[in-house]
Amino acid sequence: MTRETGALPLNALGRGSVALTVVAVQLVAFAAAYSLGRPTLYAGFVLLSAAALGFASRRGLFGVAMATLGSVLLVALGLPLLLFVARQSPSLIAEKATDPGVHRVLYLGVYAPLLTAVVCLAFGVPLAYHLSRGFPGQQLIESLVDLPLVVPHSVAGIVVLYGFGEGGMFPSLSVFGTLPGMILALTFVSAPYAVNAAREAFESVDDRLEYAARVHGASPWQAFRRVTGPLAVRGMVTGGVLAWARAVSEFGAVAVVAYSVEFFYPPAGEQVIAQHAPVFVYNTYLQGGLDESGAIAALLLAVSAAIFLLVRWLTTDATTTQGVA
Amino acid sequence: MTLEVDVEATFSADGADAFHVAADFAVREGETLVILGPSGSGKTLLLETVAGFHDHGGTVENGGRVLSDRPPEGRDFAFVFQDYALFPHMTASENVGFGQRYREADADPDALLADLGVADLADRYPPTLSGGEAQRVALARALAVDPSILLLDEPLSSLDVPTRQSLRDDLQDVLADVTSIYVTHDRTTARALADRIVVMNDGQVVQTGTPEDVFERPASPLVARFTGSNVVPLAAFGDRTSQLLDGDRDATHLTVRPEDVELGAHDPDLTGTVERVTREDATSRVTVAVGDVPEPITVFSADPPAPGTTVSLRFPRERVATCRA
Repeated sequence: MTRETGALPLNALGRGSVALTVVAVQLVAFAAAYSLGRPTLYAGFVLLSAAALGFASRRGLFGVAMATLGSVLLVALGLPLLLFVARQSPSLIAEKATDPGVHRVLYLGVYAPLLTAVVCLAFGVPLAYHLSRGFPGQQLIESLVDLPLVVPHSVAGIVVLYGFGEGGMFPSLSVFGTLPGMILALTFVSAPYAVNAAREAFESVDDRLEYAARVHGASPWQAFRRVTGPLAVRGMVTGGVLAWARAVSEFGAVAVVAYSVEFFYPPAGEQVIAQHAPVFVYNTYLQGGLDESGAIAALLLAVSAAIFLLVRWLTTDATTTQGVA
Repeated sequence: MTLEVDVEATFSADGADAFHVAADFAVREGETLVILGPSGSGKTLLLETVAGFHDHGGTVENGGRVLSDRPPEGRDFAFVFQDYALFPHMTASENVGFGQRYREADADPDALLADLGVADLADRYPPTLSGGEAQRVALARALAVDPSILLLDEPLSSLDVPTRQSLRDDLQDVLADVTSIYVTHDRTTARALADRIVVMNDGQVVQTGTPEDVFERPASPLVARFTGSNVVPLAAFGDRTSQLLDGDRDATHLTVRPEDVELGAHDPDLTGTVERVTREDATSRVTVAVGDVPEPITVFSADPPAPGTTVSLRFPRERVATCRA
C-alpha cells in the first residue's frame, strides 16, 4: 500500500530509504565542508536542501518557507554536535578511555543514577497509582511532584542540603559529599519523570479492568499484580529509564550537594573518590581546557546517546495500545 | 435465597451537578430482574453500586447475609460489562479462568467457552476478537466463578444487530439457569429476557413489575412512553371517557400498545391524519396525528394507508390502561 504524503507517494520502506539517503547526503556534504575548513558552507547546504525538500513536498511557497525556517533550528542543534564529534582527537579520547580515573567517573555516572531510578520507582509507582485513580487535594500533590521541573537545579541542591543536611531531617545521615546525598539530590530532580510516566501508564488502563478483576474475586493487590501492573509495566520501565537518563545528565544539584563522592568501587575492591560525570567534565574544562574536557565529554556523550536510543526504543514500543479491546 | 437491595449513592464529577441514585428492590432466586431506563437514568451506576464498585449508603443483603460493607471480591457476584472489559494481556481461556484462582468454582473454562460456541478462540487474545466473540468470552468469565448473582450491564449494546440477536438467544438460555440483574435501555431486550422489570428514571425507581405490568399497565406517562405505549390524555375522548376508565377516577391518561390499536374500525374513539408510514420487518409503523392530542399515535398495520389519509382509531376496552401523570 502506498500512502499519499504530499506529492510523494511512499510506502514505509520507501520513506525509510529516502531518510537514509538524506542522512548520507548530509554527512557527505558536512565532510566536504569540514575538510575545506568552511562549516558555514554546510549550514548553507542544509538550508538549501530543506528548501528543496519543502519544494518537493508540493506544499508551495508556504512549504518551502516552513522547511527553511525550521532547518535554522536544526542547524543550531545539529551543527555544534557534528563539529564537536569531528574536532575530537581520537588519540586523546583513547587516552581518556583507558584512564582508571575516568573509569571511576563513568562507573559512578551510571551506577548512582541507576540507584536513583530504583528509588524513584519504588516510591514513585505507588504515588503514580494513586494519582491516576484520583483523590481529594490531588492537584496540590501533582504540583509538588512537578516542582523540581521548574526549580533551578542548584536551588534544588540547596533545598536538599537544608532538608537532609546538618540540622535537617536525619541528623545521623551525612549527605554532604556522600553517595546517599548524591542520590537524594538526583532523586529530587529525577522523580517527576518516573512518577509522570508511570501515572500516564496507569491512566491508560481502564478502571473497568480493575473492577472486572475485583468482582471476579481478586483482592486490590491481586488485581494490581495480575492486571493493572502488567498492563502498565512498559510505562513504569520508561519512567525508570527517563529518571535514570535525567540523573546521568544532572549537574547543578549534585555540584552543590556532593561535588566529590566517596563510594565502593568493585574493580578496585575499595572505597574511592570521584565526581559525577557532568561535574567532572566541568571540572576538567576549568582545569585542563577545552580539548581535555572535550574528550571526556565525547565519552559521556556516547553513554548518553546509548541511553537516549534505549529510551526511544522503549517509548516507541509502549505506544501499542493496551487498553480495553 | 433472595437478594435485597436498598441503596443510595451520590456521584459527582468535576464540573457536573451531583447525581443521586436511590433504589429499593429484590431479586428472587432464579429470576432475571431487568433494570430498564433511558441513558443517564443511573441504572449502570446502580448496578455498579450493587457490585460494590462505589461507596454507598443503605444495604445489600443476599439470603440474609449483609454485603454492604464488603468489597467487590467479597460479594460472590460476577459482572458482564458493556465493553467486555476482558484482560487484554491474557488469552480468552486465561480470562475465563481468572476468577477461579480466587473463588471456589469447578467449571471447566474450556467447556464454558464450548457451551457458548467459542471453543476455538481459547488461545486468542481479546484485541483480536470481534465484539460478539469478546462478549461471549466475558460471559464465560462471569459464569466460571459460579456467582450467586450474575450482573449484566448492557451486554448487547456495543454489538451490531445480527450479533445482538444471536447473543440474546444464547443469553436467554444462560439466564434461565442463574439469578441475574440485567441492565438495559432496550425495551425489546427487557421484554425478551425479564421475569420482572424495574424501570428507572433520573436515579429513582419509577415502576417495578412483571413485563406484562410494565408494558401493558405502565404506572405513568413517562414509563408508557419509554416502553413504547401510546399516551393519550383522557380529555381527548370527550363524553367517551367514562367508557375507557378502568376504575381509577383520578386517572389523567390512557395508554395502549401500538399493536392493540384498531385502524379503520367502526365506532371510532378518535379520528386523525396519517403523518408517516415506516416499513418494518413484517409490518408497517403508522404514525397518526390526532387534533389536540399532543403526541401522535402509533399503530401497526400490514396494509398501511397513505400519508395524508384520514383514518379512524379504536381502542379495544380490554387492552387499554389508565395512569396518572
